Amino acid sequence: MEKTMICILCPVGCHLEVDTDLNVEGNRCPRGIEYAKKEMTNPTRTLTTTVAIKSATHRRLSVKSAHPLPKEKLFACMAIINNVLITAPVHIGDIIVPNILDTGVDIVATNTILNGDAASG
Amino acid sequence: MMYDFIIVGAGITGAMIARTLSKYDVSVLVLEKENDVGNHATLANSAIIHSGHDPKHGTLKARFCVEGNRLYDTLEKELKIPLLRSGGLLLSRNAAEVDTLKAIYENAKLNNVPGMKLLEKQALKAKEPNISKTVIMGLDLPTTKITYPWEVALKAMENAINNGVFFAKNTEVFAMAKTENGFDITTNNGVFKSKQIINAAGAFAGKVAAMVENHVPYEVKPRRGEYLVLDRRVKGFLNHTLYPVPNNKGKGTLIVPQVHGNILIGPTNTPQSSLYATPNDVDALSSIKENADKLMTDIPYHQVIRTFAGVRASIDHEDFYIDYSREVDGFMHVAGIDSPGLTAAPAIAEYVVNSLIKSKTTLDPKPNFNPNEPECTMYHALNTAEKKAAFATNKRYGKIICKCERITEGDLMQHITRTLGADTIKGMKKRARVGSGLCQGGYCEHETIKVLAKASNKDQTEIDYYDKDTPVLLKETKVKL
Amino acid sequence: MKKHDIVIIGGGAGGLAAAQGASAPHLDVLLLEKDARLGGILNQCIHTGFGLQHYKEELTGPEYAQRAIRELEGLPITIKTNTTVIAIEKTTDFTITYTNESEGETTIRATACILTTGSFERTRGAIKLPGTRPKGIITAGSAQRYLNIDGYLVGKNIFILGSGDIGLIMARRLTLEGAQVLGVAEILPHASGLTRNIVQCLHDYDIPLYLSHTVTDIRGAGQLRGITISEVDANFQKKPHTEKHFEVDTLMLSVGLIPDITAFNGLSFAKDNRTNGALVNQTFETSLEGLFAAGNALHIHDLVDDVSAESLLAGKHAKAYLENKNQKAASHIDVLVDEHINYCLPQRIQCTQDTDPITFSLRVKAKHEKATLKIMQGDKVLMTRKRQHLAPAEMERITFKNVDRLDDQTPLSLKLEVS
Repeated sequence: MEKTMICILCPVGCHLEVDTDLNVEGNRCPRGIEYAKKEMTNPTRTLTTTVAIKSATHRRLSVKSAHPLPKEKLFACMAIINNVLITAPVHIGDIIVPNILDTGVDIVATNTILNGDAASG
Repeated sequence: MMYDFIIVGAGITGAMIARTLSKYDVSVLVLEKENDVGNHATLANSAIIHSGHDPKHGTLKARFCVEGNRLYDTLEKELKIPLLRSGGLLLSRNAAEVDTLKAIYENAKLNNVPGMKLLEKQALKAKEPNISKTVIMGLDLPTTKITYPWEVALKAMENAINNGVFFAKNTEVFAMAKTENGFDITTNNGVFKSKQIINAAGAFAGKVAAMVENHVPYEVKPRRGEYLVLDRRVKGFLNHTLYPVPNNKGKGTLIVPQVHGNILIGPTNTPQSSLYATPNDVDALSSIKENADKLMTDIPYHQVIRTFAGVRASIDHEDFYIDYSREVDGFMHVAGIDSPGLTAAPAIAEYVVNSLIKSKTTLDPKPNFNPNEPECTMYHALNTAEKKAAFATNKRYGKIICKCERITEGDLMQHITRTLGADTIKGMKKRARVGSGLCQGGYCEHETIKVLAKASNKDQTEIDYYDKDTPVLLKETKVKL
Repeated sequence: MKKHDIVIIGGGAGGLAAAQGASAPHLDVLLLEKDARLGGILNQCIHTGFGLQHYKEELTGPEYAQRAIRELEGLPITIKTNTTVIAIEKTTDFTITYTNESEGETTIRATACILTTGSFERTRGAIKLPGTRPKGIITAGSAQRYLNIDGYLVGKNIFILGSGDIGLIMARRLTLEGAQVLGVAEILPHASGLTRNIVQCLHDYDIPLYLSHTVTDIRGAGQLRGITISEVDANFQKKPHTEKHFEVDTLMLSVGLIPDITAFNGLSFAKDNRTNGALVNQTFETSLEGLFAAGNALHIHDLVDDVSAESLLAGKHAKAYLENKNQKAASHIDVLVDEHINYCLPQRIQCTQDTDPITFSLRVKAKHEKATLKIMQGDKVLMTRKRQHLAPAEMERITFKNVDRLDDQTPLSLKLEVS
């Protein structure tokens, strides 16, 4: 099956056409080929979201996947993250969900929330 | 309980009548289907206290407009409502318009409009520097004033409540039945009994009247009016209320300074079938600009912060319809209160109580009636000593909620705990102007929700934007905290 | 009345960098932030894409904020959070009134002042949408705050007007949190946001993007019930019979940002009506002596990295202003742009002995492939740069080094030669 996509590696935004044999057309530089192949075989995305936090000052802590996750697993990961409740203090980089869905990827805090200390959070 | 009077509708007319009745030893209940006073025509209009130049001599409109204009000076003192004595200028741009202008001048003299003067181009320019070059003659209407109509209704209703009137909001009348000594009024909140009913339901007056009358003597013909609002930072661009010479479609597009410094441009005048306000129409908005440009040059349209539409409670009569029903004893119509309804409202209330009610019912004055309401000053308007004192008693005056309008958390609390306190975001906006500035709520809405939720011990998802069941926050994500 | 050397208003990315740039052991620098925490809007921008230029690493908004906050550690800077500036006046010094819950209204003085107050979102009123005025019309940044900071969804079925980056990012966020995003309409024939966001926020979730479309009707009395979009022609006029109807409870607006300098209307400094911000010279000083502006309060940036870089410079120049205060006022030349360029900063150049390179930030009016940017004075071409790709959504920067070659009488002009 042919697929069209826009390369996002630079602002030019080449419109690529990729067929089932991973032949790529429309790229203006070699990086477009790699991009298209990755998107066809194993598309991954960094997930950024929040978890509920018990703290005097905050209700949500921002988190991210420490590495990109398989694209098709994002909603399943969300379901797990949505059920997490953590308690302050939390520091940037702290692991919130280790090895989510056996992907080998941790969900980590992207902010620091020290209980009761609003200015630092 | 059998009330002496039930007033249907807490717009400016109903609120004024309630207040006037509260001077007497009678029991009064006001029923309002909305969640606040004055949500319709009272909220969305030009905010002008007209001089009375325009209504045809001999009409109730002419009489109550001139009388009401005078009564606002008393209301200002008693209710502490804002009143901007801008004066008005009626402007003409050609020979035909000058003729009309002079005819209006003659009519206005008959109406006893005080202090008028015909002005030539130069004098007009001196009074209003940004006036259009095409204007050739104007009529100076110095008694023209501006108020904040919604606050007038709020303060009048609060004063009525503080003098013993009962107020039921979120209470919609579904049916009325004549009983032996009065009426049974069925609402979503139960049945109320009253000896007399005063129908001040604005655009809904026809619907309410039809619940008891077979032949309602008027038909409501709602007409939409749309406006542009310029940011209050344009203050100084305009000094007077500017009227074009009216045409067969009404007063035309006005340019009106507002008590908070904004400028209002409008309204349009379009018949509509709905009793509610009402979509803004893009063509109408461009016609507003086209008309306004005839009166002024270089209007700063890039400072438009919002548009809005209101609905006039017009009827198929030129004049107000204010009288007891000829069919049903004890039922009174106060209908067709379109322009100059805001100006006329205090005079209408006097007429309803002193002429109509007193013609058939004896009213004993209440000895302890208090016409005064306290000033509700915002923190930023206090002087330094007053600010210090207020902050010493409540640190929340130190926290700004609305940056554009400099409203503090202490101000919000004051507007939550007053006689008719705010319980919705829009209710807060109307009382404290939170979210009225350039950001239109972008900075302060979430803070307002938190303050309202905390004060009423509710969840943030229970705080409505405006009407019932309109929460800004639909649901909480994640696990419950 | 307490006197400070430099007061910085706003503690987001701009204010943090400005404070860093302005800080010096002998200077009293005060940073005022209205929110409880520093970092400003970065705290709600929980997605990645920040920091590639400034920190050479891809960070989320909160991570970027934490980095910027850490840069201030150990520097002699006084920080007041939960503190809102409510008035500012200039006589010889600046008189600044702020308020917070511990001090109440307090007035201080400052020799120099830097505005890093960020921007606010264009709202419904500013774009004059037709139709009713129900609840359910919300700006993207507000919805983002409710979702990412407070933890609430504003709606179940959502349509987005405007293809700005915040709107696109929110389309993905709302979808991941369980809302349905039915589409995005953009009045222009091209998207306003970055291509990356079109791909990863819309294409990934099969959210349609309707180019050359705008909202032409809004329905619902108390609560939003539905909207209609229509195609528009080249003059943005609605084409008949192109209506598409959507049943939604939320219309989210992502229709642009405006520099927030409203608190400073009491000060008389020249403004640029194309940026809606102040007019500045290459030191980021406005036409009012000692008043500097940077970040989104000056003009709207695509990348926070640029905000930091610009604000750091503004801070350094404010510091230099304090140090060289007794110098005679210099003359200025204007910077003019041609019809292809929407705006360019700085709008004027101060002619001094200083020969630091000047970086011009500009936005073009339309998309161009292969174009040539020229910096000229009169007929003299001072510098030429070729560009493969130019778009209104992407701020272009060009650094001019030969400042000593400028003559101090002739305006500088930027020209774009397009093929």
